[in-house]
Amino acid sequence: MESLIRFFSSLRLTVVLLSFSMLLIFFGTLDQVQYGIWHTQKLYFESFLAIWAYPAQAPAYDQLYWLRIPMPGGYLLGGLLFLNLIAAHITRFKLAWKKSGIFLVHFGLILLLVSELMTDLLSVESQMPVDEGGRSNYSQSYRSNELVFIDRSHPDHDTIHSIPSQLLQAGKVVKVPDSPLSIRTINYYPNAEIGRDPSGKIDSPATQGAAVKMGIFANPKPVVYAENTINTATAYIQVISPDGPLGTWLVSNVIDDRFPPQFVRTDDQAWEIALRFTRNYYPFEIELIDFKHDKYPGTEIPFNYSSEVMAHHNDPTKNQKALIYMNHPLRYEGLTFYQASFANQDRTSIFQVVRNPGWILPYVSVLLMGLGMCVQFGIHFVKFLSKQRAS
Amino acid sequence: MKKLSFYLILLIAFLVVGRGLKPANYESDFDLATFSELPVQVGGRIKPLDSVARNTLLILSGRQKVITPEGKKLSPIEWFADQTMRPELADTYRVFKIEFPDDLGFAGLAEAGQRYYSFNDLLPHFEELNRLSSEINPEPKKRSPYENQIADLSEGLMLYHRIMHSLHPIGAPDRLNSLVDEYQTYLSLIGPGLEELRKQQAGEEFDAELLNSFIFFGDDYLKLSRTAYLRIVPPPAPIDPLEDWKNIGLELLDVMRGDALSPYVTSYASLTMAYRLDEAETFNQEVADLHERFIADFPGEIDRVHYERLFNDMQPFYISMQLYVLVFLVVCVSWLGWPKQLGRAAFWVLALALAIHTFGLISRMYIQGRPPVTNLYSSAVFVGWGAVLLGTFIEKFFKNGIGAAMASLVGFSTLIVAHHLAMSGDTLEMMRAVLDSNFWLATHVVIITFGYSAMFLAGALALIFVVLGVFSRGFNKETARSLSSMVYGITCFAALFSLVGTILGGIWADQSWGRFWGWDPKENGALIIVLWNSLVLHARWGGLVKDRGLAILAMGGNIATSWSWFGVNELGVGLHSYGFTKGVLFALSAFCICQLLMIFIAAIVPQKDWWSFRRQRLEASH
Repeated sequence: MESLIRFFSSLRLTVVLLSFSMLLIFFGTLDQVQYGIWHTQKLYFESFLAIWAYPAQAPAYDQLYWLRIPMPGGYLLGGLLFLNLIAAHITRFKLAWKKSGIFLVHFGLILLLVSELMTDLLSVESQMPVDEGGRSNYSQSYRSNELVFIDRSHPDHDTIHSIPSQLLQAGKVVKVPDSPLSIRTINYYPNAEIGRDPSGKIDSPATQGAAVKMGIFANPKPVVYAENTINTATAYIQVISPDGPLGTWLVSNVIDDRFPPQFVRTDDQAWEIALRFTRNYYPFEIELIDFKHDKYPGTEIPFNYSSEVMAHHNDPTKNQKALIYMNHPLRYEGLTFYQASFANQDRTSIFQVVRNPGWILPYVSVLLMGLGMCVQFGIHFVKFLSKQRAS
Repeated sequence: MKKLSFYLILLIAFLVVGRGLKPANYESDFDLATFSELPVQVGGRIKPLDSVARNTLLILSGRQKVITPEGKKLSPIEWFADQTMRPELADTYRVFKIEFPDDLGFAGLAEAGQRYYSFNDLLPHFEELNRLSSEINPEPKKRSPYENQIADLSEGLMLYHRIMHSLHPIGAPDRLNSLVDEYQTYLSLIGPGLEELRKQQAGEEFDAELLNSFIFFGDDYLKLSRTAYLRIVPPPAPIDPLEDWKNIGLELLDVMRGDALSPYVTSYASLTMAYRLDEAETFNQEVADLHERFIADFPGEIDRVHYERLFNDMQPFYISMQLYVLVFLVVCVSWLGWPKQLGRAAFWVLALALAIHTFGLISRMYIQGRPPVTNLYSSAVFVGWGAVLLGTFIEKFFKNGIGAAMASLVGFSTLIVAHHLAMSGDTLEMMRAVLDSNFWLATHVVIITFGYSAMFLAGALALIFVVLGVFSRGFNKETARSLSSMVYGITCFAALFSLVGTILGGIWADQSWGRFWGWDPKENGALIIVLWNSLVLHARWGGLVKDRGLAILAMGGNIATSWSWFGVNELGVGLHSYGFTKGVLFALSAFCICQLLMIFIAAIVPQKDWWSFRRQRLEASH
């Protein structure tokens, strides 16, 4: 037991872990060329084991295709560093003024590791496009999808029954929440191509909706990860009422508002069925009053993007007007709105909407670490100066 | 004699500075100094013609001078004057740098040992060049060196053509001799021409000859508006600094809409004619008028434009470079004898070089109205400056020449890097929107770049530790100890600055992209430096490494830093990928291999067998 504690509190372990961290980060940077940032992040930094494979685009691939380098992943290294730090403080460190800087730095580091973990686990990123003069009360994910049944029978509002795409597994039956329906997933493709076959010769499981009317079918494709690419999630869904199957629909996130809606009907009710990017609804609407895109005179180099917005809350005391521009996000109702992009000849502004409950932690940790380092090196420096003077 | 050497070295240093600060002397009756200060709007800012001339030459030739066929050396503005106003002469100047002319395979082009070619040399090969450039990879990052050379050449020719037609219409030389008349004719044709056009469209009888000559002007100026590179015509007063200036073609076209022709256009026309007719007096008068008009129109800009021209002339970074070489040489000589006097001289020359380097840095800040680091070029200038600053302090404390030598080495090398980065054109370019935050540029960017300075200085000190220890005899325990404590001290600085800088970067990212950390390549590069420093410090505190190990680690830090600075840009992914530069990969690899070689030597040869220590052992055993 004692040797175990000694092992976990040793500086040697710190050095080894730091070396592995650099290795991990280095290869985790290289692989972004192939996999894009988001997927590499999952593979290297949000994992326990990462394996780097010699990339196919690199020179001499034919000779080196077998090369694999396994290394501990981010969670493992982060966890071990965390343990190492705690163990070292319990066993080796004594609280002394001389070491106060180191304490601050280490405490800041612990906070930073915790906040990074919190961000990984808790933060939600989505996008909200709004047209000038228009309003929006939801943001949508650009990676996760949901299967929805929309009941539009109420005059004032719609009722949405949502099933996350993770539950769509071939052969599985899932009950549609708060409704008499269930679904059986015939097939789910994380990425697919929608093809047209007007002759209807292609064997498709669909028996209802757009697939039958327009003669379209899904062709699975490998998932893509590169930046600015979108996976076309697609599924064949059999809908089952208490009286038996109603048929099979083809749904896909490319079959969106541009197409006529697909309906599932029982004797007394109708639902719109769709597979779409997961939406988060809010108790407020964001109105885009004006979007500005300024360029340096005589060039196409942008120097400013800004959106003048008005937040209309269900609770009017919370209404707020704001200007969102580069480096100046709007923090509102636990969310942060950033100027992310624009479209539609500068008439649509796209906001990045982030919910990150731990956003304040890095700020605290920064203060602690910066202060700690200044204190520690200040102590060193003063000592060095007095030694110089003495000699 | 010893004392004399001190003053002698200072004298040399002042001569170097004096030569650099000497104002440009154009051997010409034309007032080219004022001409070079005339303003244009390029790349979103107002700058003097002098800057345009220099940047264009850097792109085309990779240097700031032109040698005429008669062997006369032209300054950038002299070349620019010929380029725009005596194109028939300019076409004979060898301004296109072609690194490997043989590789192009143009029959009869390549001359042995000649890397510079003129427009006239290239003229017979245009068709072939067009064909070749249509076949190269459209994605610049995926081009081979051969394809790059072709792309550079055809882009260079395009730039050359567009610069040439910046002040006047495209045409034969004699057209340039009658520009003032041409504009008069054009102005007088507009009213009648439009009338004839109306008649033609209404199906009435019209004067075909008159209409045709009017249409000829229209077509010609339309072409010009697409070609002319420089925006030399400011909008009429009162002037809004954010308004677009026009190029000459656009201004001539807009006269058709009923606008008055800007006096800037007619002035440039008379200027051109006077220059061609060798009438210096008229030329100087026109230039003075133009200049006066600019002062009246842009009272807020004139000082900056004037200063930029002076700054261009002085080239403070080249002066610093020469001084850094001097410092290094003096220190080397001082180790052979007279360490005290020469060491003192080296220190003062270093301080002088630092002062001039600082002056250059501040000048750029004034001209651009920005904190010092805004792009790769300025980061190189700043890294050198930071290293020299730290090195000067080290020299002040230790007084053994090592700090001065290594500071000057880093200062010189980074300015060489900067010199090569300047080849891509204007180094005072405008900032893209997301970077447009003086607060973050002044904090995050400056601090992280200063971290690079400290890393490279620590690496250089480690390098000299190994070089002196392994390859020389003059290294004793005491020097080793003091060098090692320098490396340690500077590493502490590096740790502080890279950590604080990285975290500030995280906060900036949180403010602009909505996440504190996104594992973007540049962020990862910075994190590697932070981890590297903490590894070094922990290894030393834990007694895992001693002097030699520290030196080896610090040299490894050079690799980590250069990876973060340049390497990650080469990947071409991520939000920070605005810094891709051609040819960097090769230089970077060479640098890393050198470092690895030194690390290998330091690691493989046991310290007792280093020359210095072997000798001491031998002496001790006798």
